[in-house]
Amino acid sequence: MAVIRGTKPTRAVLIALKRRIKVAQMGHNLLKMKRDGLMIEFFEVLTQARTIRQELVEDFIRAEQSLNMAKATEGALAIKSVAFALQKEPAIELESRNIMGVVVPKITADSVQKQMFERGYGIIGTSAAIDDAADAYESLVDKIVTAAEVETALIKLVEDIEATKRRVNALEFKVIPDIRDTVRFIGFALEEMERDNLVKLKMLKGKAQRAEKAAEAAKLAEAAKSKAA
Amino acid sequence: MPVLRLPKFGKPVKYAYITGRVRAMKTKLIPHEMYQRMLGMEIPEITRYLEETQYKEEIDLMAKDHSGAELVEYATFANLAKTYRKLLRVSIDEPEFLILEYLRRWDIWNIKTILRGKFYGASDEEIMKYLVPAGELDQEFLEGLAKKEKIEEVIQAFDGTDYYEALTQYDGQMLSSVENALDKLYYFRMERAVGGTLSVGGGLLLKYVRKEIDVKNLVTLFRMNKAGIEASVIQENLLPGGKLHEELSRMAGQSYNEFVRGLEGYPFWGAISDVVAEGGSVSRIEARLRAYLVRYAWAISNYHPLSILPVLGYIVSKDTEVSNIRKIVRGKEAGLSAELIEEQVVS
Repeated sequence: MAVIRGTKPTRAVLIALKRRIKVAQMGHNLLKMKRDGLMIEFFEVLTQARTIRQELVEDFIRAEQSLNMAKATEGALAIKSVAFALQKEPAIELESRNIMGVVVPKITADSVQKQMFERGYGIIGTSAAIDDAADAYESLVDKIVTAAEVETALIKLVEDIEATKRRVNALEFKVIPDIRDTVRFIGFALEEMERDNLVKLKMLKGKAQRAEKAAEAAKLAEAAKSKAA
Repeated sequence: MPVLRLPKFGKPVKYAYITGRVRAMKTKLIPHEMYQRMLGMEIPEITRYLEETQYKEEIDLMAKDHSGAELVEYATFANLAKTYRKLLRVSIDEPEFLILEYLRRWDIWNIKTILRGKFYGASDEEIMKYLVPAGELDQEFLEGLAKKEKIEEVIQAFDGTDYYEALTQYDGQMLSSVENALDKLYYFRMERAVGGTLSVGGGLLLKYVRKEIDVKNLVTLFRMNKAGIEASVIQENLLPGGKLHEELSRMAGQSYNEFVRGLEGYPFWGAISDVVAEGGSVSRIEARLRAYLVRYAWAISNYHPLSILPVLGYIVSKDTEVSNIRKIVRGKEAGLSAELIEEQVVS
């Protein structure tokens, strides 16, 4: 029995504790609903994350193959030279959105995928192999940005689910039982006090009755004495 | 475009010496049968084989800084530069002029690389690694350019030359317009220079240059039509000149299928029809067109033995040899299949 320390066993405290149980139970139910809702969202995002991760791996392999092909046909010197000309970095925009109270990032990247004439290298002096490699890596970067968004959302959901589960368990296995135990303790204490009072009353009553009887007996003895005299 | 003043040479132009030298240099080229054997070798074996050829000096020199496929690529490029500079040293008059004009493509490569490096903010040591001094601009001059602080200083270094007008197209944002302008300048000069030659073989050389322009434009059309880019943008990226400029220009902006159908019947169709029919990638089509051009150069190189044509044949052969070796070693390094590598090798 885990009674809350420092609790005074009074009726006022008992009433307050009973109110607290109701509130704690309501909170427990709400948190359970939140936990269940987050789990549903989590599994949806997990499916998405798995698909995107798979696509990311495929895009990476494709990008590596394109680059290898470009190195083979044009030479590493040409590829490195062309790479110097590609300057425009993608603009990454970070916003946030809400999934059941969990704040997750929303990442958008601008100017990742470009037309070949927007990349910075001259078309005439370059080749299709370079276009293919650039296309493949742009697609990969795009996918990385999407994966970052989805996987970060997944991590945040997991963290929040863990926190919610801890709170649900704390309420279910500690807070509410402790309050219940304390209520029981106060009930017992109050009952005991009542019994004490009852016994005291009975004792006092008995004493009073005995005193009354003794007084009556003394009165009778007095009366008998005066008659005899 | 700049006005190209053609030098006047004494008639008859003497090609006997240079063609004799080229005949001797050609004996040092790797036999075509060797490529098949190299496909079955590992990279160290290929390197050891190359040490028994004219590439020995460069491989020995660069082995302390590089290894594997990188060593082979750097060594073969260095040997290419050395060979072309030797060709320039042993030629005079019209042959020297025409060879120089042809090899300016390496000057363009180097200028682009330096501009790109400055644009990116690379160090001068980094930039120097990717230069191939195989044209008129020598190592010392290129090093001086690479050491300049800004792009504007590099551009200013060409003030008074034909390159300056093309270089001043740099808008501070992207290099593509400058690069295209340099390439257009190169082919403009080539066509005018070769068109002005009076000696035998000049006509065929001009045909080759025009064919090269047509092939470049064709590749641009394949790349940009397939990507669905609009006609006006494509036309800005086409080289002026060539034999088929007007017809190819009209094909800019067409749907890919319509464009491909319009190519049937042209002389180069035979080289690419099977790849196009399979729905092959543009890079495969490009490889076929490059091979078509190389084989044309080889075919015409024997037409007039005492002309610029054998020299062209040798220059193209040397370039193709370096390219083939690189494709084999880089392909092996990347784990590409032998069939895929063989498709790229021209022999």
